[in-house]
Amino acid sequence: MATGNAIDPIHQFIVAPLANIRIGGIDASFTNASLFMVVVLLAVTFLMIVGTAQKSIVPGRLQSAAEMAYEFVASTVRGTTGTEGMKFFPLVFSLFMFVLFSNLIGLLPYTFTVTSQIVVTFALAGLVILTVILYGLARHGTHFLHLFVPSGVAPALLPFIVLIEVISFVSRPISLSVRLFANMLAGHITLKVFGAFVALLLSAGGWAVISPLPLVGIVALTAFELLVAFLQAYVFAILTCVYLNDALHPGH
Amino acid sequence: MSDEHKHSGNQSEEAMKARLEALGSALERQKDQKIGSSEALEATQKTGRAMSLGFRVLSEFVAGIIVGAVMGWQIDEWLGTKPVLLIIMTMFGTIAGFWNVYRIAAAPTGAQARGDKRSGS
Repeated sequence: MATGNAIDPIHQFIVAPLANIRIGGIDASFTNASLFMVVVLLAVTFLMIVGTAQKSIVPGRLQSAAEMAYEFVASTVRGTTGTEGMKFFPLVFSLFMFVLFSNLIGLLPYTFTVTSQIVVTFALAGLVILTVILYGLARHGTHFLHLFVPSGVAPALLPFIVLIEVISFVSRPISLSVRLFANMLAGHITLKVFGAFVALLLSAGGWAVISPLPLVGIVALTAFELLVAFLQAYVFAILTCVYLNDALHPGH
Repeated sequence: MSDEHKHSGNQSEEAMKARLEALGSALERQKDQKIGSSEALEATQKTGRAMSLGFRVLSEFVAGIIVGAVMGWQIDEWLGTKPVLLIIMTMFGTIAGFWNVYRIAAAPTGAQARGDKRSGS
């Protein structure tokens, strides 16, 4: 198992059903992806409920972690969308914690990274964009469409500008989801490939002497992946805020 | 007796002063160390931020082109104008990609500026 896994860097992303469930012809099996989504949700819930249960003035480790997470996201939302945007705080906070915990838990060996699946990240991005569109239309009505019509443009150019703005808007969920997915996928493949280097060098006779080099590389890469895991969750959260800001204040 | 008391008071004051000085220098050393380590940390974070910004620019640009191309391809299918709209919409998609990148690069105004400054992007 060890060599088979080490040499095949894609193996870790295979979604395998753990329990086959079929509801009306739809495959609703409980897979390893579902399992780790549940794990992520439990971890976030545990942190927030147990962390805030004590309410001591001098916080313990869990409590200060929970408070830091809250204040970090709250200041991000306030800084980007203003206090008005705080009504979206639950959404942004849930997204941030889900992405962050998926990324971090995925770094542990033998785990499954939920955010390395484009389906998951695209569903998250789609949720954000649908919220923007529905809230924008509900709050501003047709005025929301001014998002696509910048003021002060020559009438002859207007159709082209509108077309470009529409393409730019549609590309948002795609870039949002692809960025997170690609970062996690690439990071995990790189780690696996470096691990395979160690195994291959060890079994290559005299070349085993330089096998510690990729091992050192893995240590450095893992530290870097930790940073990427956090930064991608942060970028996801702040872009969600920027897009929600468009829904709150359309028309630039 | 009062004299003696005064003397001992002076002595403890001096001891106190010495202790304070020792504490101050220890604190100073601690601070110096902390600044040194946080500078290294900042350098790593700067690299990470720069990379995430670079990735953001890349993905926004590519996403614009892809969306334009797919839109043109689909409208071609509907209207039966096979390659024409694909070419035109890919062009517009590229422009939209550049527009996305410009929006990241241009200095944001108002409430957005505060949030973006913190993210370093």
